[in-house]
Amino acid sequence: MMSGQSKNISFDALVVGGGIAGGEAALNLATTGFKVLLVEKELSIGGKMIMLSKVFPTLDCAACITTPKVSEISRHPNITIYTSSEVGNINKIAENNFEATIIRKPRYVVIEDCTACQLCEQACPVSVPDQYQYNLVGRKAAFIPFSIASPKAAAIDIDNCILCGACEKVCPTNCIDFTQETEEIQISVKTVILATGFKLFDPLLMPRYGFGLFKNVITSMQMERELAPTRPFNTVLRPGDGKVPDKIAYVLCTGSRDASIGNPICSQICCMYSIKQSQLLMGALPMADVTIYYLNIRSFGKGFEEFYQQAKGMGVNFVKGKIGKIRETENGNGNLILRYEDINEGIVKEAEHDMVILSVGVLPNQDASGFFPKEELKLDPYKFIYQADSLISPARTSIDGVFVAGTASGPMDIPDSILSAGSASAEALSYLIQE
Amino acid sequence: MEIEKGKTFKYLRDKREVPQQVKDQLKEFNRIKKAMLDAFKESDLTIDQLTQKLNMPKPEVVYYLMSLIKYGFVQTGEVDDMDEYFTYKLKK
Repeated sequence: MMSGQSKNISFDALVVGGGIAGGEAALNLATTGFKVLLVEKELSIGGKMIMLSKVFPTLDCAACITTPKVSEISRHPNITIYTSSEVGNINKIAENNFEATIIRKPRYVVIEDCTACQLCEQACPVSVPDQYQYNLVGRKAAFIPFSIASPKAAAIDIDNCILCGACEKVCPTNCIDFTQETEEIQISVKTVILATGFKLFDPLLMPRYGFGLFKNVITSMQMERELAPTRPFNTVLRPGDGKVPDKIAYVLCTGSRDASIGNPICSQICCMYSIKQSQLLMGALPMADVTIYYLNIRSFGKGFEEFYQQAKGMGVNFVKGKIGKIRETENGNGNLILRYEDINEGIVKEAEHDMVILSVGVLPNQDASGFFPKEELKLDPYKFIYQADSLISPARTSIDGVFVAGTASGPMDIPDSILSAGSASAEALSYLIQE
Repeated sequence: MEIEKGKTFKYLRDKREVPQQVKDQLKEFNRIKKAMLDAFKESDLTIDQLTQKLNMPKPEVVYYLMSLIKYGFVQTGEVDDMDEYFTYKLKK
């Protein structure tokens, strides 16, 4: 459904992607006095970081860092945020002159009027898998995406809504509006920052690890949710039978450093987030044994090696081993047998664990490559956005006036994403003032 | 048609049909919810006991049970002596 409604608005900068990099870049530009439009395809800004439990190597609470930042972005008078929105196309007319089409999907809730009282959520009879809890638990069709979402407002999942009207009947502010339609908005901007982030490897593409088939094989993002304060269960549990696990295995490099699945590069974050999770697990489940199966531990950043040694000191077991296959035990207890090559000993071994976490890798989000019908936004050999001068001017892309921030240009951790966003906003500022 | 504030769902209902799969999904959820809540009326249960009562696969029981906890119908009780499995009960 497209309303055909068209607006024409001007901003200084368009930032595509409301994750930590896009948010930081938008904030830097806005604080300098420029008007920014921040476009986010999800219902909330905050990207993947807002969904994390803690960050490495400091073990600071991710939500405690992200929430004030997201709040600052949301309240900044120079930042306009469009959530549930995507870029249709961007055309460069001249230097400092871009025209873009933004597709704004209906939320069916007037954000400004919603008090996040959750009465609509309670009234909604529908239950579907909650994508923000990585399908570990259900959510309603009228729902607040997650407790620290920004904007903290309800949304209607229209694909799963039965149009019963229960949500509207209980809404005290009459903020639910089923007459909303998709809007196509034309905007003019002077510069563009692409902060479209990354995608996580889908382990269904590696059937030998049994993800999807064996319910106690989960992804690292699912474990991240289990460890977060806004977790889906009361504690860490196996999704297969609700048991508190006590022999947990991590399989590093799932979908990265593996040419056979088309991603030969290192994801740069999996070693450290797995070590972080292992430490959190040992805190949450003091009796648990945690084993990390790895090819190499790449603890290259500030404080990373000490963090790795700390995990060893806490009793995390590190096995240099390449996993060949994961299968379920035959006795029906839901445990899993990992068949692996012990690289140090050069022999094939098997080990039983009651839960396996696949440390899934970082993949490029190629959405941005389709934004520019008249210009060529180059991608690098691994399909991340090409950095025209990665040493001197890392935020520059193949199009003058278009800059890249964060993991859209390649795998990196949170501090590096924020640094990259600083670089992109500085380059964009320089481009804006040369007008 | 005239759109009345607070009843805008009627506007969309005239324009859009709810897919059969969505209706079926709701029926299935209501069936499982009723079966689970009825089972808990008799006694507090572990996931294993609930699985046997409902004759459902364990992963499905975990998913629906955790959803009912989230929606405020059920609450978590005590963990067993081995610290492995929790008991669940109706929220009062």
